[in-house]
Amino acid sequence: MTDSLIDGQHISKVYATATGPLVALDNVSFNIEEGEFISLVGPSGCGKSTLLSILGGLEEKSDGTLVLAGKHHDSPRPDLGMMLQTSVLFPWRTVRENVRLPGIILKLDKKEQAERCDELLDMVGLNGFGDRYPTELSGGMRQRVALARLLAHNPRVLLMDEPFGALDEFTRETMNVELLRIWEKTGKTVIFVTHNIGEAVFLSDRIFVMTPRPGRLEGIVEVDLPRPRTMEAMRDPRFSELVFTIRRMLGVDH
Amino acid sequence: MNMMQPAEEIVASPATQKETIERFVETERRRQKKKVLVNRLLAAGFGIFVLLVWGFATEGGFVHRLIIPSPIDTFWAMGRVMSADYFLPNIWVTLQEILWGFAIGLASGVVLGVGVAMFDAVRATIYPYLVALQAPPKIVLAPIFVTWFGFDQPSKIAIAVVMSFFPMFLNTLTGLSAVDQNAVKLMRSLTAGRWKTFRYLLLPNALPIMMAGVKLCWTLAVLGVIVGEFVGASAGIGYLIYAMNFQLDIAGVFALIIILSLFTLVVYQLIEWLESRIIFWKQL
Repeated sequence: MTDSLIDGQHISKVYATATGPLVALDNVSFNIEEGEFISLVGPSGCGKSTLLSILGGLEEKSDGTLVLAGKHHDSPRPDLGMMLQTSVLFPWRTVRENVRLPGIILKLDKKEQAERCDELLDMVGLNGFGDRYPTELSGGMRQRVALARLLAHNPRVLLMDEPFGALDEFTRETMNVELLRIWEKTGKTVIFVTHNIGEAVFLSDRIFVMTPRPGRLEGIVEVDLPRPRTMEAMRDPRFSELVFTIRRMLGVDH
Repeated sequence: MNMMQPAEEIVASPATQKETIERFVETERRRQKKKVLVNRLLAAGFGIFVLLVWGFATEGGFVHRLIIPSPIDTFWAMGRVMSADYFLPNIWVTLQEILWGFAIGLASGVVLGVGVAMFDAVRATIYPYLVALQAPPKIVLAPIFVTWFGFDQPSKIAIAVVMSFFPMFLNTLTGLSAVDQNAVKLMRSLTAGRWKTFRYLLLPNALPIMMAGVKLCWTLAVLGVIVGEFVGASAGIGYLIYAMNFQLDIAGVFALIIILSLFTLVVYQLIEWLESRIIFWKQL
C-alpha cells in the first residue's frame, strides 16, 4: 500500500448495452500524488471520461479498488471539484452568483465565500464582471467563470473533463497558460482529460495514455519539461519528442 | 506572465473616426424607427379595411342586420349591455368561475407535474392514466359535469379545471425534464441532493416552459367556463350570449364577445408582463 493521494487498482467498468456488455475500462491501475498535474489522453472511447467520472464518484466502477486520501471512494465528495467541456453556467444567476453556487450548496461560510469569490474572479481575470449574466460573456470568459466556480469551495482535487475542448485554438492556448498559473499558485492536484496531445504535454507532470476497445491504460509518460512553463515550452525539442512518443503509443503515427 | 485582458470592450482604431460611428448609429436608428412605423401603419390599415368592409356590407344592406349587425349597431349595443342591470352580476359570476378554474387548474398541474417529474413512484402510478386522459377532448365532460355539479358555478369551475390542468401539468413535466445533463452532473458532483437540485437547477430551468403553460392554462380556463355556461347555467356571460342569440339580439352577442375578448386579452398581457419579470434572463 502506497501513501499516494489517489490509489486506483485494477479498476474496470462494464456497461450493459443493447448489443451486449461493453468493456469501457479494463483493469486500470495507477497512483496520483498530491499536487500532481495528470492528463488522461486518448481517442474517443478509450474510457478517459469514464475514469474521470469514477474518480469523481459519479459513476460506479464494476471492479477494482479506489482509495482517495486513505478512504475508499465511490460517491461525490466536497473535496473534489469538477469542470466540464461546457461551462454549465446557470443563465438566471449572475457571474458572481454562479461562482457562489458551490458554497451555497455545501453551506459554507457566506462572508468568507463572498471574499473568496472576488479573489477568484480577480484570479481568472474577470474583475468587474461579477454582476454580468453569462449570456453577456464570450465562450472563453464563460470557461473562466467555470474555472472560478471550480475553485470556489477550495477542493483538493480538480477533475477537468476536456474543459477547453469547445474553445477555439487561440482561446484554448491562453486558457492553458492561465490554468498553469493558477495551478502553480494553488498547488491543487489536477486530473485533466483531453484528446489534444500537445495540450497534455504542455500542462502535465505525467500523462496517462489510454487506448480504446477495451479502454486500457497503455502507459504513463513523465513530462520532464522545466517549470514554470510558458508558451516557449512548445519550442523545446523535448516537447516534440514527447508528443511523438505519445502518438506512437496511441498507434496514430502512420 | 501572460495575463490576458478580459476586456471585450470594443475600441475602434483611430482610422475608424468617431463621426463615422455616430453617423452609422444615427442611420441605423432612423431605419429602425421607420420600420416600426410602417409595421404599425400596416396593422392599423388592415383593421380599418376590415371595419370598412364590415360596415359597407351591413349598412349597405348586403347582409341582413339580424344576421350580422353593423359596427355602429355593435358599438351602441356595447353601451346598452354594459349599462344594463344584469351586466355586473353576470360578469361577476363568470369572472369568479374563470379565476377559480384557472387557479385550481394551474396549482394542480404544477403539483402533479412536479410530483411526476421528481418521484419515480408517482410517475409509475399516475402518469399512464394522465396520458390516457389527456387524449380525448375535455369538452365532452361538460354535460356530465353539469349533471354532477349542477347549474351553478361548481360545474363551470370543474370544466375549466379539467381543461386548464393538462397544459400546466405537461409543461411543468416537460420543463423539469428538459435539463442539460451536464448541469445535473455538476450538481451531483457538488453533493447536491434531490431538493437542492430542484431548487437551484430544475425549477428555474423549467420556468420558461412553465410560463408558456400558464398562458395556455388561462385561455383554456376561459374557454372551459364559457362552454360550461352554454351547456347549462342560470347566470354568466356564456349564459347571456346564449340567451341573446336565442332572442336574435346578435348585436348584443357581438358586444359581449368583444367585452370577453378584451378581458381575456388584458389578463393575457398581464401574464406576459409577469413572465418577462420572472424569466428576465431570456431578454438579456
